[in-house]
Amino acid sequence: MSMAVHQASKEEEFLRKLFSGFYTSCQLGVSKPQQREFGFGGWEKKIEFRHIGVKGEAELRARLVSDAPLYVSYSVAYYEFPAARPMVKKNWLGADLVFDLDAPAHSCGKFTCGQCLAQVKRETIQLVEEFLVPDFGFSQSEISVNFSGSRGYHVHVVSDAVEQLDREARREIADYITGTGLQFDKLFWEEGKKLFGPRPSQGGFGGKFARSFLARLEDGSFALSISRSLKDPAIRQKMRRAIEEGNWDPIGIANRKKKFQEKFSSMMLSLSGRIDSNVTADTSKLIRMPGSLHGGSGLLAKKVSMAGLEKFHPMEDAIAFSSGEAKVKMGEPVPRFSVKGEEFGPFEAGETRELPLAAAVYLLCKKAAVLE
Amino acid sequence: MADLLFCSHYPFTQQAKEYAAQHRLELSDSIVEKAEARLQDALASGRIKKAADLPSAQEEEIAIYAVARMVVSAANNRYLIRRYALAEAKRAGEYLSSDLSSHPEYVEAVAGELGLKFEKQQEGFLIPFAQYLLFTPRSVDYKLSNRELAAGKVRVGKQERIRILEEAVRKRIESSLPMKADFPQSISLAAARISALIPRLEAQAVRIGQENYPPCIRKLLEDLSLNINVPHTGRVVLAMYLVNAGLPDDKIVELFRPAPDFSEKTTRYQVEHIRKHKYRMPSCSTVDGYGLCVAECRCGNPMNYKESVHGRRLKELEKERKA
Repeated sequence: MSMAVHQASKEEEFLRKLFSGFYTSCQLGVSKPQQREFGFGGWEKKIEFRHIGVKGEAELRARLVSDAPLYVSYSVAYYEFPAARPMVKKNWLGADLVFDLDAPAHSCGKFTCGQCLAQVKRETIQLVEEFLVPDFGFSQSEISVNFSGSRGYHVHVVSDAVEQLDREARREIADYITGTGLQFDKLFWEEGKKLFGPRPSQGGFGGKFARSFLARLEDGSFALSISRSLKDPAIRQKMRRAIEEGNWDPIGIANRKKKFQEKFSSMMLSLSGRIDSNVTADTSKLIRMPGSLHGGSGLLAKKVSMAGLEKFHPMEDAIAFSSGEAKVKMGEPVPRFSVKGEEFGPFEAGETRELPLAAAVYLLCKKAAVLE
Repeated sequence: MADLLFCSHYPFTQQAKEYAAQHRLELSDSIVEKAEARLQDALASGRIKKAADLPSAQEEEIAIYAVARMVVSAANNRYLIRRYALAEAKRAGEYLSSDLSSHPEYVEAVAGELGLKFEKQQEGFLIPFAQYLLFTPRSVDYKLSNRELAAGKVRVGKQERIRILEEAVRKRIESSLPMKADFPQSISLAAARISALIPRLEAQAVRIGQENYPPCIRKLLEDLSLNINVPHTGRVVLAMYLVNAGLPDDKIVELFRPAPDFSEKTTRYQVEHIRKHKYRMPSCSTVDGYGLCVAECRCGNPMNYKESVHGRRLKELEKERKA
C-alpha cells in the first residue's frame, strides 16, 4: 500500500509515536482477525486506508505498531477475502450485530460533558437490559459492550442466530428497538363495546406499554386524565385486573381510543431505545475496534463488562497513558475537565501548561492545544 | 416406509427424494411432457395446479417434480428459477393449508425438514425471531415493532405459520437450482421449448431519467430487474413514485414484469388504482418505516430527491466558484 505524501505536524508525530508504543504491548483480543477488514485513520480522516487484511493477531499488531494509526476500525462482517475489492469480491460470510449509541447533541460540543456521557451510558444499559436480553433473548455471553473512545458506546452481539441476517432484517431489529413503525391500531382493537389491548405479561411493545401504564395508574393526575371515576381505588383495582386480561375498558371511558392513543404515543418515547439504525443495518460497517485508541480523544475504546458498566467513567477508566508529562499551549478556551479524578482547567487560549501525559494527549487529540 | 401421499404433496422433501431414488422413477416421454406443462403453468400464471390425490397419480407427481427441476436446470435462467420456485412454494402452501386439518403431522414434518422451530402455544405459535425475519416479507403486517417478542421468540398465527413455511420452501427450492449435471436429450429439448416461453426482459428495459431517482426507488427497480420478489409495500411505494413522477401506466407495468409473481392484470389494476385515487408519495420516514430506505439522502420525501440533490450540487458549485 502506498502512503500518501503528507507533512505530519509535530503533534501528529508525537501522538503516533505514543500510539505505536501503546500497541506494542496492549491486549488485542479481536475475534477472527483474519476474516475482518481493517481501516486505519490519521490526523485528517478517521478512515484513510481500508480493505486491509491480516493473517492473524500477530500481523495485526505488527501493522498497528509500524503504521501507528490514530484510528483503528474493523468490519462487523466476516469475509473470505477481507482485502479484496470491490466489496463483492470479499465474499461476505456473516456479520456481528452491532448497535451504536452516541451522546445526544448538546452544547458541550467537542468536550463531551459528564452529564451527556452518563445519559448515553444509561441508554446503553437500557438497550441491553430491556431489549437485547428479555426481548431478543441474547445471553450475556453473546453481548459485549465497549466505550467508543469518544461520545458513546458500541454493543456487539456475536451469535450464530443473527450472523446471517441481511440488511433488511437488521433494519427490522433496529426499528423494533427505536419503536419505528409501531402502530396503536395493531395493538388495540374494538369489539362492540369492548376495547382489547395488550396484557402486561405479553412480549413486545404491547407488554412494555401495558406494564408501564399499570405502574403509572396509581399516579393521581395520570389516572384522572383517563377517567374521573378512577379517583376511586376500587375502580382503579377493577381497571388493573381487567388490563391484566387484555380488557382495557371495563368502566366505559369516554373518548377512550383517543386517550389511550395519546398515552401510547407519549410513553413510547421513553420506552424505546435511541440507536443509530444505519449502523445496525449496515452489514459491512467499519466500526471502532474494541481495545484500540481513539485519535479524537486519546481514550481507549475499552471493553466494559455489563456488571461494571454502571460504575464506568471514561475519563477515569479509559485512560491509556498513566505516566509522564507534556507541555502544551492551548489553541482555544478549554473548559474544566478531569482525568483520573484530577481536575484541570478551565484554560484560556494561549495559556501554556505542563500536564500529565493523559491530559495533554486528550487536548492534543481534540486539537485544542499544540506541543510547546 | 415412505408416506406416498406426503411425498406427492411435498416432493422437495428428503423423504420424497429418497422415494424417488429407491423406486428409480422412469424418465418417460409422458412424464417429461407433464413436467413441461408444470413449468408452462408456472411461467404463465405463477401457479402450479394441484393433482388429484389418486394413488396412481402420487408416484407420478414425485417424478414430474424431479423432471421439472432437471428442465429448469438445463434451461438455467434466473427468471425461470425464481418464478418456478415461487409457484412450487404456492402449491406447497395450498397443500399445507388443507393438510392442516387432515394431516397435521405433515405440516410438522415439513417445518422440521426446513429447520423451522415452531412451538405450539395456546394462541398461535412461537418462532425464533431470526427465522421470523428470514421468512416473512418486510411489510406493515409483519413489522416486528408491532409483534409480541419475548425471550428471542415471536408469536405468529396459524395462517402466518403457513405463510412462513411457504417462504422457506421458496428459498429452499430457489437456492437448490440450477443443479449441475449432463441432462439427457429429452430434457434439453424440453428446456429449449420452455426457454422460448420466458419473456424477453432485456428488450423492455426502460431507462428514463433514472439517475434522478432516489436511492430507495433505484434499489426497488434494481431488485425487480434481478427478479427478486419485492414485497407488496415496496411495489406500492414504487408504483406511487412512478405515477407521481409522470410515467405512463404502460411503462410502469413493464417495469414490474420481471417480478417472479408478475401478473399483468393485477399490476395494471393497482397502478390505475393509484392514479385514479391520486395517492401522494409517502414521506421518507414512512418509506423508512416500511424498511425500504437504503440511504440517508435527507430529502424528506422521495419526490424531492431530484431537487435536493441538484440543489446541493448547485451550492457546491457556487462554493467552488467563490473559492
